[in-house]
Amino acid sequence: MGVTFPPEKHHLLSQVLDEVFDGLYGYAMVLSHDRTEAEDLVQETCVRAVQAIESLQPASNVKSWLFTILRNIWLNQLRQRRAAPKIVELDVDESTAELAVEASKDPHALYVSKVEREQVREAIQQLSKEFREIIVLREYGELSYQEIASVLGCPAGTVMSRLGRARSKLRSLLSGSLRTPDRRAKGAVE
Amino acid sequence: MSRCDERTSDILLYLDNALTGQKLEDFRAHLADCSGCWARLEEELALSSLLRETRPLYLAPQALRARVAAVATQRASRSSPASDHSRKTRVQNWTRRWRDVIQRAFSWKPLAAMTLVLVLSLVFIPGAVQRVRAMDYVEAATEIHRSYLDGALPLQCRSHSPEAVTAWFAGKTQFHFQLPAPQSVRNGKAAYWLTGARLVSYKGSPAALVAYETATEKISLLVASSKSAVVAGGEEVRAGGLTFHYRSGANSEVITWTNHGLAYALVSPLTGSPQHSCLVCHQNMADQNLFKH
Repeated sequence: MGVTFPPEKHHLLSQVLDEVFDGLYGYAMVLSHDRTEAEDLVQETCVRAVQAIESLQPASNVKSWLFTILRNIWLNQLRQRRAAPKIVELDVDESTAELAVEASKDPHALYVSKVEREQVREAIQQLSKEFREIIVLREYGELSYQEIASVLGCPAGTVMSRLGRARSKLRSLLSGSLRTPDRRAKGAVE
Repeated sequence: MSRCDERTSDILLYLDNALTGQKLEDFRAHLADCSGCWARLEEELALSSLLRETRPLYLAPQALRARVAAVATQRASRSSPASDHSRKTRVQNWTRRWRDVIQRAFSWKPLAAMTLVLVLSLVFIPGAVQRVRAMDYVEAATEIHRSYLDGALPLQCRSHSPEAVTAWFAGKTQFHFQLPAPQSVRNGKAAYWLTGARLVSYKGSPAALVAYETATEKISLLVASSKSAVVAGGEEVRAGGLTFHYRSGANSEVITWTNHGLAYALVSPLTGSPQHSCLVCHQNMADQNLFKH
């Protein structure tokens, strides 16, 4: 007798994937520093997720599960290479990266300053591996502290303290680009 | 470690609107007395703002999306034993959601021709263009409302306070908007109340979803910049210097309007005439007469 397959799980997975696709790709880029590797990582993550979605518990967090799969695939690849991760230059030249943003015709992307994005990318690349990961998961993957703790396999308290230190380092690297908050931002704390 | 060093996590929680109750009060009191923490908070706000503006840090290539969509659809169709019906549903789930991606990546030539014909025909009918774009916004609002009801779009900020929700949105959208204070009611009983909010995406830009409830129903309000969201068509009702566009569907009705450069879409399961719909919430308010004509 065939197993009854829950189609709603696939619906949920496809929905979450749609939402976090850029976040997954960004995380893969930050881990691998290589566009081709990043694409392979994302594709492999999606394939494994589709294959494993049946066994996922109903209350599971699909978003953090996807990031965890991607991270595990990356760590396995590193182990197989029997070499420590090394920092190499991104193989995405600036024109390619910017073309990708322009081609999206995304009003938000067009609105954003290319210079600022490039500065932020460079600053993030200068962070240590631990800090890079946590910044990208939090700020670009938009994962909660608990979700990040689940992905990294550490307590939420560690996530918070590490994130605090990572932001501090990033602030100093980006000190020239940071603007004083405008009135609207200040209004949030008044 | 100084007292201020211990405030690092409070600052992060505060930035995420995750500091509540007594802890929030304590933190605010500390901020009022500590210029160092205030300056630190401003720096963190500036960093958060810069990082938000650079999202996404890397944009996934369209070809990758298409490849993944194709592979996922293929795997979904054979990943396990299943009945024909559930397999079909599973594949439909993937193809429906990723259809646009696949079409954009693989079928751009025929699509381009069709689009060109459509564009040329619409160029000469500006009103039609506006109505099509208006339907776009209505459909998006309806779909978002449905996802919210299904639990697929849970609220990211839960509050009955318009001020708190307004503050939560600060810096998160490219437009600034302020939720009005609750209108006074004549018999002291509110017809609806605010329950919270979340960010959603409309045409790739952040838009605001504000959730309300009546005693029996959930209502959502989508707010986007009127640069991307067009409001037109439907049955028009003029009230308070604004023109409301009313559309009724099978399970919900949508009322859209623009004001100060923002487009609003109110989706509710209520049915009836436009005036009746407005009066459901405004029946006991001082402005009720605006909706009675």
